[in-house]
Amino acid sequence: MVLPGAIWLFLFSYLPMPGIVMAFKTYRLVRPPADAFIQNKFIYSLIKSPWVGLDNFRYLTLPTNRDATMTYIRNTVLYNLLFMVVGLVLSVALAVMIFELTNRFLAKLYHSIFFLPFFISWIVVAYVVYALGSSQGIINSIITPMGFTPIEVYKEKAFWPFIFLIANIWKYTGNGSIIYLATITGIDRELYEAAAIDGAGKWKQFTHITLPHLVPVIVLLQILAVGRIFGSDFDMFYTLPNGAALVRDVTQTLDVFVYGMLRSNLPLGYPAAAAFLQSIVGFILILVTNAIVRKTRPEMALF
Amino acid sequence: MDIPIKPDSQFFDKRFSLKQKQRDMLALSPVTNAVLTVLLGILAILTLIPIYVIVIASLTSEASLVANGYQLWPKEFSGAAYKFLFSQGSIVMTAYKNTIVSTVAGTVLSVLMVGLYAYPLSRDNFKFKGFFTFFAFFTMLFGGGLVAYYMVTRQILQIQNSLWALFLPSAFSPFWVIVMRTFYKSNVPNEIIESARMDGANEWRTLFQIVMPLAIPGLATVALFSAIGIWNNFFNCLLLVDEAKYYSLQFTIYTTLNNIRFLLENADKMQGIVNISELPSQTFRMAMAVVTVGPIVFAYPFFQRYFIRGLTIGALKG
Repeated sequence: MVLPGAIWLFLFSYLPMPGIVMAFKTYRLVRPPADAFIQNKFIYSLIKSPWVGLDNFRYLTLPTNRDATMTYIRNTVLYNLLFMVVGLVLSVALAVMIFELTNRFLAKLYHSIFFLPFFISWIVVAYVVYALGSSQGIINSIITPMGFTPIEVYKEKAFWPFIFLIANIWKYTGNGSIIYLATITGIDRELYEAAAIDGAGKWKQFTHITLPHLVPVIVLLQILAVGRIFGSDFDMFYTLPNGAALVRDVTQTLDVFVYGMLRSNLPLGYPAAAAFLQSIVGFILILVTNAIVRKTRPEMALF
Repeated sequence: MDIPIKPDSQFFDKRFSLKQKQRDMLALSPVTNAVLTVLLGILAILTLIPIYVIVIASLTSEASLVANGYQLWPKEFSGAAYKFLFSQGSIVMTAYKNTIVSTVAGTVLSVLMVGLYAYPLSRDNFKFKGFFTFFAFFTMLFGGGLVAYYMVTRQILQIQNSLWALFLPSAFSPFWVIVMRTFYKSNVPNEIIESARMDGANEWRTLFQIVMPLAIPGLATVALFSAIGIWNNFFNCLLLVDEAKYYSLQFTIYTTLNNIRFLLENADKMQGIVNISELPSQTFRMAMAVVTVGPIVFAYPFFQRYFIRGLTIGALKG
């Protein structure tokens, strides 16, 4: 029964893993001779390619490239931290508010609406950004008659952190709140009654009952999020700016950077080196975070 | 790690089942409740604005759009974009067909593979339980990176430029395996499985006739999440498809937006090279975006029935 899934995991997850050695090689395509044991061009070439040590990493830190590399790493990490913190706070807040609402019909309706954006692809969101913020966009058709200077999001860097943040909140808060809402529902109501009898207000009840119950879920989700801190929501960062070169400094993340190098004429070792950093740093971070959690609160550790 | 799904904690209705007295004691004060209702109402309206924006843009007449730009309430409405969209076969219809086929195939595959993989992991008498749990879980922590993935899918698996490329990479998910494992554990009592075995059903019959019917809410959740994932997938197509006849819907509408934006912004440099008036109209593109969202939104009520009402991903325990 596990066979189909195990084969898929082997092909799509385990087979690429040894490929990380490309970061330390200069990959050259060689046609395997007819008598070679391995006939697959890629595997044969990979084995025959010369080791070059850290040369590929040196390319990323050349004086001409260092600033760009550092900018993309900074973007990736800062956006991820921002989304982690804001996403967590807003999802929990939304879950609590929805749960507390007296009118159950409205609660259901609101939650359905907040969840809806999860169904909509980033490409459609890119259309929305265009319809709102391009030179002909709705925002300009509202603010220009009021005497403001027209805006053009594809040319102005300052807008992008806000666009990404708002888009991220819009798309994921409703979905993120489901798991917290479910956890809150599972809390024994008698705890709240006891607290209320003892005179605890809603805020006290939240900090002393709700929050402690949510902590295990929060910790687990944050450990997994830490492991993805060098990754990013590729579709969002790639499609929303729509390839606008003027705002690249604030929109490009490592994922998009790696993809761009992969599709250029650069040697494959360069994107492989950047991708290697992503894989290894993510893996180490998740191990470290888990170890810290394990030390302090063993029951909340992921493994 | 356990991610259980509880089948019957209907959190929207639960508080009705509480006694009147309890509700009064824990209920919000009328003022706080009113403030909260209004606040959430405003946020809900804000949430719907982006959807409103593309729908209204697709219904604007092209002339009004050229003259006044995009507007919250256009001067002139028109359904011409939709007429045009459905009248011509071309790129949109091909992409639609590709996306529907791959969504159906990918969803069926992922329900089967996840459902099959998770079941033995939920049973205590499976000898290699630990190994296969780790085998799936490890891929959530470590991966070979984009470059290696690209080379493997193109050079070894050779799924590029085919419909396989659109759904096979998304047809399985270790995350849902862990969710389903817990779902089987908490919703399919051991006694039922044992009695089925005693009645002479083999493992396969037990799974398909006894266990899976009991696990429908969990499997439906897997199905719907994977359907959304494949329907909205852009990356597989970007990475693995170069031929237009295999383009997915999302990729098609992205390239359209990208091309037009570039051409419009560089219109002055492009005088004589392209005729702007011959490009697909702006409203037409917005209509494309709307039709992309359509089917997924129609799946929403079905989704809610199983996911929001019928089941809830419960607390995650270590």
